[in-house]
Amino acid sequence: MQEEFSLRDRNALVIGAANSLGRAAAVALAEAGANVGVSTTIRSRAEEVAANSCANEVWALDRKGFAQAIDAADEADVDALVARAVSEFGRLDILVNAHDLPFARPLVEISAQEWRRAIDVNLTAVFLASRAAGRHMLERAQTGARPGGSGRIINVASVLGERGMANGAAYCAAQAGVINMTRALALEWARAGITVNCIGAGWTEGMGIIGGEEGRRQLERYLPYKRLAKPEEITGVAVYLASDAAEYLTGQVIWVEGGALSHV
Amino acid sequence: MGVLDKLRLDGKIAVVTGAGRGLGRAMSLALADAGADLVATARTASQIEETAQLVREKGRECLTVTCDVTDSSSVQAMVEATLAEYGRIDILVNNAGGVTPGFANKLPDIDDRMWRTGIDTNLTGAVYCCRAVIPHMVERGSGKVINVTSGFGLRAGRDNFMYTSAKAGLINFTRSLTMTYAPVVQANLIAPGLFPHDDPAMAEWWKQGKFTPMGRLGKDEELGPLCVFLASDLTSYMNGQIIVLDGGGLAGGHAPTGFAPVVPLEGV
Repeated sequence: MQEEFSLRDRNALVIGAANSLGRAAAVALAEAGANVGVSTTIRSRAEEVAANSCANEVWALDRKGFAQAIDAADEADVDALVARAVSEFGRLDILVNAHDLPFARPLVEISAQEWRRAIDVNLTAVFLASRAAGRHMLERAQTGARPGGSGRIINVASVLGERGMANGAAYCAAQAGVINMTRALALEWARAGITVNCIGAGWTEGMGIIGGEEGRRQLERYLPYKRLAKPEEITGVAVYLASDAAEYLTGQVIWVEGGALSHV
Repeated sequence: MGVLDKLRLDGKIAVVTGAGRGLGRAMSLALADAGADLVATARTASQIEETAQLVREKGRECLTVTCDVTDSSSVQAMVEATLAEYGRIDILVNNAGGVTPGFANKLPDIDDRMWRTGIDTNLTGAVYCCRAVIPHMVERGSGKVINVTSGFGLRAGRDNFMYTSAKAGLINFTRSLTMTYAPVVQANLIAPGLFPHDDPAMAEWWKQGKFTPMGRLGKDEELGPLCVFLASDLTSYMNGQIIVLDGGGLAGGHAPTGFAPVVPLEGV
């Protein structure tokens, strides 16, 4: 049974490996057997250090991998990143879009430039990466599918793509955009054997929480689990979605949120 | 522990209702592959015996108990027999259900009895099983419940009243289990798309799945790994959720125009 979930000889690219979910997804895919390249979401020293450290964890598992600093909203950066994954691995099977740029501000105070940046990094970046990886995967689909289909695209979105939050209009809109883009793209590429799904992540350790410590305490009282998720509790889904076992599963959001969405 | 090791179910006891055929059998075999011992229940003894034989060929134990999930005393007896044999239940898969008399009747032609049978078969049976099993899970401090709903629990169908109502009810019943018993018990749902269960007539009725985005119908054995995944430690923070396995059907609708029309964007 574990064989059906194994990602041995698969090659993955995780964008946004500096945040806790991206890092955990990269490590989970590597543990399951995949080679994993990782990138930052934005160009910053802190992100670059974190992405390199994630690549080290991949190497420690005896898989191939690399880390690259990019701005995920930059077309040339993203195209170059995907080209590097294809050239280093020979083929790209799995793309995980774990980009995340938390942003919260009262709407009347958001400048048009800030709005565009929030949408660019949280939503448009997913389009750019999907397009670059999709071109490669579609081309391969025409030259004969391999076991497990031609490709897997796994987006990571937030519960804020399903529920609203005061002062979160830009972020909520972008996350909801990722969710419905997942469905549309799943339909578009279904016949090519490329599945497109979304992990709907609940509130997770290591991610930004609005409202600081008090906000976090309130949240923990509200959640049925009375605690935030550990990143590893969420990213196991990426292994399932990337595997042969999920060949028929596409266009779905798989929520891992400790019951948050069951709540009134 | 590596991520794949978390998918092992060694030493776990799994009860599967409706285990005699189709998805129930496929899920039973997958759970056994992952290391669980099984309790196969259904109304028809000969069918669950066949499932049990297949489980035993995998080197796992399998207790068979005939049970009508719509009869709460029958459910109670099944759970008692299980506990007498194994002393525990780690995983409960509420899979029993299906088409009942008057399934596609016009609303005025559904009599009281048809309505109750439809709801009992596809909702109340799972409620009875949860009611009988969950106290043991709570007492032992852990448990996994997997309820099998349907795309018809999320979307409607013309002249489809009992089945859609019951399967939708099962979804919100499951969410209330989450609100009540999380994190001790994890209750999630599987919503299979069009699975003909090796029945050629059914496959033909669904036009071989050509209106499904992926262009084919589901295979029973594709449900097995999903069941293992939900029963495993890999999904400990997932609770009250539905996983739809349907080849993209619900993402856009099973319609002739459901995927990939190309419309040019003017003026770019």
